[in-house]
Amino acid sequence: MDKKRKSRFLSNGYLILVLVFIYLPILYVVFFSFNEGKSLTHFTGFSLRWYQNMFEDRTMLECIYYTVLVAVIATVVSTVVGTIAAIGLSKARPLVRTAALEINNLPVMNPDIVTAIGLMLLFISAKVQLSLVTLILAHITFCIPYVILTVMPKLRQLDDNVAEAALDLGATPWQALTKVILPQIYPAILSGALIAFSMSFDDFVISFFTAGVGINNISMYVYSMKRYNPSVNALSTLIVVVVTLILIMVNLIPHIRDKKLNKGDIVR
Amino acid sequence: MKKVLTAVLVICLIAMGAAGLAEKKDPVAEYGSDVLNVYNWGEYIDKQVITNFEKEYGVRVNYSLFSSNEEMYTKLLSGASYDVLVPSDYMIERLIREDKLQPLDKDVVTNLDVLTAGVQNMGYDPDNTYSAPYLWQTVGIVYDTTKIDPEAMEEQGFSAFLNPEYKGHVYMYDSERDGFMIALKALGYSANTTDEDELNAAFDWLREMDKAVSPSYVTDEVIDAMANGEKWMALVYSGDAAYILSENEDMGYCTPKEGTNIAVDAMVIPANASNPKLANVFINYILEYDNSLMISEEVGYASTNDQVLNDLSAEGGTYEGNAAYLPRAGYELDEYYNDIPESLRSLYSSMWIKVKLHE
Amino acid sequence: MKSFFRMSYPYLLWMAIFIVAPMVMILLYAFTRSGNSMLTFQFTLEHFANFFTDPTFMRVLWTSLRIAFLTTVFCILIGYPAALFIANLPERRQTMMVLLLTLPMWINMLLKTYAWRGILMNFDLESEIKVFIGMVYDFLPYMIIQIHTSIAKMDRELLTAAQDLGANRWKSFTKVTLPLSVPGIISGITLVFLPAVSSFVIPKLLGGGDYVLIGNLIEIYFLTAGDWNFGSAISLIMAVIIIVSMWATKKLDRSAQED
Repeated sequence: MDKKRKSRFLSNGYLILVLVFIYLPILYVVFFSFNEGKSLTHFTGFSLRWYQNMFEDRTMLECIYYTVLVAVIATVVSTVVGTIAAIGLSKARPLVRTAALEINNLPVMNPDIVTAIGLMLLFISAKVQLSLVTLILAHITFCIPYVILTVMPKLRQLDDNVAEAALDLGATPWQALTKVILPQIYPAILSGALIAFSMSFDDFVISFFTAGVGINNISMYVYSMKRYNPSVNALSTLIVVVVTLILIMVNLIPHIRDKKLNKGDIVR
Repeated sequence: MKKVLTAVLVICLIAMGAAGLAEKKDPVAEYGSDVLNVYNWGEYIDKQVITNFEKEYGVRVNYSLFSSNEEMYTKLLSGASYDVLVPSDYMIERLIREDKLQPLDKDVVTNLDVLTAGVQNMGYDPDNTYSAPYLWQTVGIVYDTTKIDPEAMEEQGFSAFLNPEYKGHVYMYDSERDGFMIALKALGYSANTTDEDELNAAFDWLREMDKAVSPSYVTDEVIDAMANGEKWMALVYSGDAAYILSENEDMGYCTPKEGTNIAVDAMVIPANASNPKLANVFINYILEYDNSLMISEEVGYASTNDQVLNDLSAEGGTYEGNAAYLPRAGYELDEYYNDIPESLRSLYSSMWIKVKLHE
Repeated sequence: MKSFFRMSYPYLLWMAIFIVAPMVMILLYAFTRSGNSMLTFQFTLEHFANFFTDPTFMRVLWTSLRIAFLTTVFCILIGYPAALFIANLPERRQTMMVLLLTLPMWINMLLKTYAWRGILMNFDLESEIKVFIGMVYDFLPYMIIQIHTSIAKMDRELLTAAQDLGANRWKSFTKVTLPLSVPGIISGITLVFLPAVSSFVIPKLLGGGDYVLIGNLIEIYFLTAGDWNFGSAISLIMAVIIIVSMWATKKLDRSAQED
């Protein structure tokens, strides 16, 4: 028992260390969003001016809007298409599967500039004007590979026989899919969606060359700054706060629901 | 009596309404569209100017951002239609040569007479047929006056980058064009040379520079770093130097005696603009005293409006006593960049990479 | 089961249009002479010759591969225990941890790198170490998530059975958990190694501008020099080298599976 507790203590300690490492620069950015000066290395005094600047800057607010809009659409579409494709490919002949996965890796492997110029050339030769739609298409294109790469290993762990048994027992392919396969790969789909969302959220180069006139996202704003504007620190802090609130809510709702149920039990 | 009063009131109201209508022109009827697409460098304007323009003309400005001329040029290849671009001199030369711009409407852009002498008669567009200068700057050296004596700095000019006493205390701007410019200038050549022997000599100069002072190759992070006095000297644009000097009073600015690059960013209208009429109005608006003042004050780059330039650098101006704000004008050895011939661009790139890799 | 394969048709079509077609156009540039006009096809291999005869380029390529390899190794070393520990948590806390790991990925990478620059400025470190910290930082969440996904909800019964049969914890880890997590590690390697080879923002900001990597080179030739032909050739060379090295990794995976 004591040994078990010790190992739990060690593993929790390790996870906390990893989290500290991952959150260190985030805390740094949050801290400097309250800096009075423009520096990102020297704190000269507390001020909220960068928050005020951010809310007064329409271009910046539009950036948030476009970033979230594109990320949400690209994540939903790429998760659905990617998952379906992964299931299909897992049942393909090895040669077809290998070839498809190799091509699937291209957007992950290519430097962003190559993917970006390639997509731009595609839109030019198809005589498609760059717009919000081309931006979203581009994001879906580089997000799907991440979903497939995440879902595929889980599919490989699945026991083929289970799905086949379901089919033998008279389940339709649809039932086999939704009742047998999907529940088992569900965590992988979720992880894939999270990674896709992050990729879309943080992309600069591909967005730059596929977005229509007047459409900027947060990354485009940050990269194009001729001089550092600390309002982007304020913007990042805002994102952290909003996401944290959502996380807390998502975690609290089941708790509250449980408590209510428990109370109901007692009354009854 | 009452009737007369009522009648007068009604007439007055109608008259006022009509006057109001007449004053508030319908932008769609006037320009064909109430949207203006502007494509400019990031953090290169006072946003209030845009807001004011929108209010005054009842239009909406769609503002897009880029971080280099080449990036912007590549984006234009997609056929995207912007109304106003703000590229630099050599890029304008290229856009004119490739027929990608349309002439300004001089009946609308009437403020060109405010231009300061330093940005008049530019080689790429001598009579401002296509372009109206927006902001301008020189390339120079910001240095810590507590570490390097100002006289010694002026005496050395660009050859300070070969001085081993400064080893480890130098920032070099990571731009192949500017890197080659200082080498060519230090050697007494033109920054626009296409002579391969001269370029090779500049290449050797840069390699010697890399050995002598072991610089850190940086881009925009140099601004924050020099404002905090992290190193002794750095190659910077005068507009950024003006900011550094206003943040840190130990810093000085030197426009090297060998001559340097003068760069002008100017407003142009692409040939495929969808709202050229409003674009001309916008360009004229930006040239106005108040607006040019706000922009130059905010970003620290020199105004192209002569009076703004004088007022900001004169007594009581925001940049009074700031050695970097006012660019050196009329110095014989200073040059604008020409567009590098296509055949030389890759050579520039590969040589610059070799310099940075200490080869 | 064959009918399931049909599910991949939409994506195969998507790939043909949005991945293969653009790549073919890029490839054309690699084998043709100057200019970014696609109308004048003049076949040439000179870009490849230029690349392989210049020791600078080869050195840059080597540095990039080495940094990417070391980054991947460190991500596995740090990430595997983390993924394992997360998988041992109660299920609700597992989701929470995964979300906590993802959240920082939504903050702009350039901004986080600036922050690292500020933090690391206070320490006297070799620039190469700084680059490693930045690279491992950026890619670690991907590795943890991939490995965690592959071992989460693993067949607990297998582990219990192994332990019932008298296997100690180390043995049940090496015989049950580790082999089952290999596909996850491979996915993690793909997600870390491939982008790491061509990354350049982190090396540039943390290592100083003299840290030129292959991604940087490609960007310079595409944008600054406007030489799409040479840029395409470099990215093709890089792609081939990576595909070969990934193929070698897969071979290892297969032999590990056969054990």
